[in-house]
Amino acid sequence: MTRAGSPGPWFAAPVAIFMLLCFAGPILIVTWFSLMPGRTFELTTAFTLENYVAAISDGYARPMMWSLLGAAITTIVTALLAWPSAIILHRYAGRWASLVSALIALPIFISESVRLFGMSVFMMPRGGILAGSLNAAFGIEIGSILNTWNAALVGMIYIHLPFMLFPLLLGVSLIPADRIEAARDLGANRWQVMREVELPLAAPGLMIGALLTFVLCLGANAEAAILGGRAVTVITAAIEQRFNYAQDWPMGAALTVGVIAITAAIVLPVLSRLDLNRLTKR
Amino acid sequence: MTAEAARATDRPVILSLAGLSKKFGDTSAVKQVSIDIPEGEFLTIVGPSGSGKSTLVRLLAGLETPTSGTLKLRGKDITAVPANRRPTALVFQSLALFDHRTVGQNIEFAMKMKGVPADKRKARALELLALVRLSDSYYERPVTHCSGGERQRVALARAFASDPEILFFDEPLSAIDYRLRKTLEVELKELHQRTGRTFVYITHSLEEAMIMSDRIAILKDGDLIQIGTPAEIYRQPRDRFVASFMGEVNILGVEDGTFPDIGHPAPGDAAGAYAIVRPEDLLPGSRDVTAEYAVTQRLMLGSRTQLHLASPSGASFVSEIAGEAEAFEVGTSHAFGFDTDRIAWVDR
Repeated sequence: MTRAGSPGPWFAAPVAIFMLLCFAGPILIVTWFSLMPGRTFELTTAFTLENYVAAISDGYARPMMWSLLGAAITTIVTALLAWPSAIILHRYAGRWASLVSALIALPIFISESVRLFGMSVFMMPRGGILAGSLNAAFGIEIGSILNTWNAALVGMIYIHLPFMLFPLLLGVSLIPADRIEAARDLGANRWQVMREVELPLAAPGLMIGALLTFVLCLGANAEAAILGGRAVTVITAAIEQRFNYAQDWPMGAALTVGVIAITAAIVLPVLSRLDLNRLTKR
Repeated sequence: MTAEAARATDRPVILSLAGLSKKFGDTSAVKQVSIDIPEGEFLTIVGPSGSGKSTLVRLLAGLETPTSGTLKLRGKDITAVPANRRPTALVFQSLALFDHRTVGQNIEFAMKMKGVPADKRKARALELLALVRLSDSYYERPVTHCSGGERQRVALARAFASDPEILFFDEPLSAIDYRLRKTLEVELKELHQRTGRTFVYITHSLEEAMIMSDRIAILKDGDLIQIGTPAEIYRQPRDRFVASFMGEVNILGVEDGTFPDIGHPAPGDAAGAYAIVRPEDLLPGSRDVTAEYAVTQRLMLGSRTQLHLASPSGASFVSEIAGEAEAFEVGTSHAFGFDTDRIAWVDR
């Protein structure tokens, strides 16, 4: 078969066209808008960097910081929660493993807002599910973390745990049992086995889970809005506000480009170290 | 038996198994195994697959806990001591090398766990590389870039690095091609002689056991059938299982004072229900017990020739004679015999 007659490009064409229209196109337009003077709604060639300068001087570093902090905390906490869960599911759960995995995966099929409003009802003070039940059953009166940054964090951890758990489960299943036994036999205690053998061997799964969670959390908005009660402004909320209420598209675009650049700066180095061949077992 | 007892009293017992048993659910993998292993011995535990030999070595290494029985190291009960706190090292069947690390890091693993400083670790690792006949250049190499034989040596060096009092081997040579296996068997025996450590080796190949061991323990269905020097196992097998496990063998049942398979009277001093005759003892010509056999197959083994024979009653026999044995063409019949003092008698 000649190279020209190869069907490859034809099969790739639909995806390529889709990516051009729906991914490359919008990024191009947003980048272009970010270089326009403030509050314009047209794409011209009057390029300016004033939005980027304003983004830093107008205090948008703070929402960016909240978003990065939230994403980092969520990634770390979900990793700490998912690691023992993945080990237990893989090694000890036996025939229960698939049932437990299904139960963990189930909430993904329910809209995120619905689940977050559910959490909100759960956390509500006085008559909320948690506070109300405790009061009715035991006479214990508790306050509520609803409408605080902590509530938003709890929501983010709850929503994103499956995105950490499933890649990690895949990573943990890559650890051959005899390597752990060999490490034990050579004198490693449980902590050393984890550090020297389990973590390095499960690293591809852990990295994919961390990337997914981190990137999703960086773009998360609903948790801070529904559970956090806008106690803090995250960068996505700021961007939405620029595009909607403030009608300042160039500014919103500049913030968007900033988030994309920061995300890429964090994600690409990790991605380049990831050996996908190991995950798919070649 | 006497030789065995003499050997055992020569040197102090380093590892003592007393009634060691392991059950998985309802199945007994190891049943009441008791062995005293003197210091510096090369003991090989042999058994067919499913005989419980791997489970036994995992019990010894501390990777499984016995259902009952005790294990003593120099008189101290270590039955409940976990693997990482036993001064023993196991070379795995899979080798279980850390593929994400270099050869040097693999060898240094046990020392790193003990907190030995990096420069001392490296010096010892290079010594160990020399011990297993690998050059210093391997130190930096990823284990994934090593050949089968090299990986074998790295696994050996890694086990030695923990400075173990006893080394266990769980069929580490089973996945290696014949020639390399022969080389490594000899090297392992040399290593045992040079280091003076106690080796406990697991294999399904009695031939491998014969080459390397001071003593051989034969395991069947979790039971210890016989333990003794290779010569004892070869010359005085305890039963037909042990005899036939040792390679080709002729087994003649005794009924009413005769060998019905060859229609010949059994010697008056028959000391068992079965006579075991090695192929090299069933030779052409007239001997104490002689009969006519038809040659059914002639196999050249290099310096020797193996003849498959059929007695007049149709039973199969094997004879091994030196040279090419041109006269013994397939289809011809000849007189073959064995001397009664070459018979090993067994009851079962």
